[in-house]
Amino acid sequence: MKPPRLGHDNLGLGVGLRSVHFDHILRHQPEVDWFEVISENFVDSGGRPRYVLQQIAERYPVVMHGVSLSIGSTDPLDLAYLGKLKRLASEVKARWVSDHLCWTGVLGRNSHDLLPVPFTEQSLRHIVARLRIVQDVLERPFVLENPSSYVTFEHSTMSEWEFVCRLAEEADCGLLLDVNNVYVSSFNHDMDPEEFIRSLPHERIVQFHLAGHSNYVTHLIDTHDDHVIDPVWRLYRQAHQATGGASTLLEWDAKIPPFPVVHAEVLKARRFMDRHLPDVPAAAAADENGDEEAAARAAAGVESMAAGGPGPPLPHPLHHVRPEVA
Amino acid sequence: MKRGAPAGSSEKGKPGADGGPGAAAPSLDVVQRWFQEVITHPGGASQGIASAEAQRFIPLGRGELERMVRRSRRLTATERLSIYAHAYYARLLECLGECFPVLARALGEEVFDSLAFEYLQRYPSRSYTLDRLGESFARFLEETRPDRDGDADSAEEPATPAWPDFLIDLALLEWTIARVFDGPGVERQPLLGPDDVRTLGAQGFAAARLAPVVCLRLLAFRYPVNSYYTAARRAGPGDEPPLPGPGAEYVALCRSDFVVRRYPLERAQYVLLKTIESGASVGDALAAAAQESELGDEELAAALGDWFRTWAAAGFFQSVA
Repeated sequence: MKPPRLGHDNLGLGVGLRSVHFDHILRHQPEVDWFEVISENFVDSGGRPRYVLQQIAERYPVVMHGVSLSIGSTDPLDLAYLGKLKRLASEVKARWVSDHLCWTGVLGRNSHDLLPVPFTEQSLRHIVARLRIVQDVLERPFVLENPSSYVTFEHSTMSEWEFVCRLAEEADCGLLLDVNNVYVSSFNHDMDPEEFIRSLPHERIVQFHLAGHSNYVTHLIDTHDDHVIDPVWRLYRQAHQATGGASTLLEWDAKIPPFPVVHAEVLKARRFMDRHLPDVPAAAAADENGDEEAAARAAAGVESMAAGGPGPPLPHPLHHVRPEVA
Repeated sequence: MKRGAPAGSSEKGKPGADGGPGAAAPSLDVVQRWFQEVITHPGGASQGIASAEAQRFIPLGRGELERMVRRSRRLTATERLSIYAHAYYARLLECLGECFPVLARALGEEVFDSLAFEYLQRYPSRSYTLDRLGESFARFLEETRPDRDGDADSAEEPATPAWPDFLIDLALLEWTIARVFDGPGVERQPLLGPDDVRTLGAQGFAAARLAPVVCLRLLAFRYPVNSYYTAARRAGPGDEPPLPGPGAEYVALCRSDFVVRRYPLERAQYVLLKTIESGASVGDALAAAAQESELGDEELAAALGDWFRTWAAAGFFQSVA
């Protein structure tokens, strides 16, 4: 019997650290429980980003979240990158390190996207073996996140949640349950998000992610550019009840508002820990969620995209730090 | 598929089920190579599926994509793959635009994106970090300059600076600024200050070899791109500064307090610092600079004190080697 969160602390309600908020955080030292940082923005930094992170890590608990591990790729693991992760984790005393159940490229290339894996026995064996190596190298808790996805493969032989359960058990790792990603992928793949959450090994859920997304009626895109919608909060409530609570982190990566707005958004989570929303199943809410504005976006976005023209906003991730120059 | 059913539950027993009888499912590496070819094809997902490169991994005839990718209730398999294909170029174009914001403004979005689109095909990202996405962009502009015929390696340099040189120089300036911003620096380290320079004395100064700080970059341009960069940053939206004509410009980039600072240089100053950077003594560097200076010997000697005090105050030098 595993302890809740595999024994890791519940850090409370945290915010994803973004460079546009550096000055506010250093100046005001807001009462945030913890910060999550994008590993790739800091592992090579010899400038202000790294310096700011060092200061923040002295005051707040820090967790490292990556987008380039490419755990599902058939390319060899990038051991140099892993080494850099390990050094940074040691420097900022990261409570754990996380990345996504995906691959980002093959044959040496990097798409900088979180690409979907087929849910097969072969994928399972491949990723379990790599997760063991990653954990051995990092010598620090490693936590795997379910990504948003937009396709499924015909030759998949199991559901995403079955794949995630077996992966976590066989590799003995923790899970980062991105509640918004559950909602987005469930909508896109005609799945039941509540069944997804119900089916996971709850004691392995170390952390939650929350974020906003964009609705194009025919599909949802994980844009991290808006408030969390009510159906996602309902799923969060379900996940909170199932797990007994875990470190909760809000991601906001595009059209980023001032820091107090982002912080206030994650603090809304308190409402769903002890108060119930109307009992509308999240799956039903997903169907009802297509409004006229979303329909217009869908018509403009999908048709334009299929014709090679401009498409809808981008799925997470895009992380680039703008230089400061006089 | 029925809502709520596990994604794979209705598919058991189908030909191609992984590990099943007569398993015909493609292996993971083949799927990934195919997927990457499809979503990075410059013509979009449909052309990607039909491309020889993708067909080499997984041959699919017209209408056969659903052998690989499922449709959803609302989108076809091609439409679903197109989300990734669109995102691939859109994300990286956006990132390149952020790496080269002034160049993108100078060219206009359409022209910049067209160049960047071609660049991504020639130099796809091979790094775990987006910070390196633009590292070959200036080189790409050089290789593809329209005033260079035939083989880039064998072609001769144009005799006088031309429009592509402006683009290449501006790309180099913006790229170097980004590298200096996030590269190694000397904040919180002791540096050679103006008083340290003064105490060397005339003879000691001439013999000294000054070690430049790790974040100092000395750049020579064929167009006044540093001035243009300043004007573009000051200009409001829609108020673009005029594009400059050719003209040599020299600049030193250095970082202090984690901010990149730009110092315009005269040619003699550039030669002086460049020679010091190569490891020569200050005396030898002065001799090299004197040949490039329009100042007379006395004027140059009088100016030198101010130059070195300014540069030392700006944190150009780590120590006397």
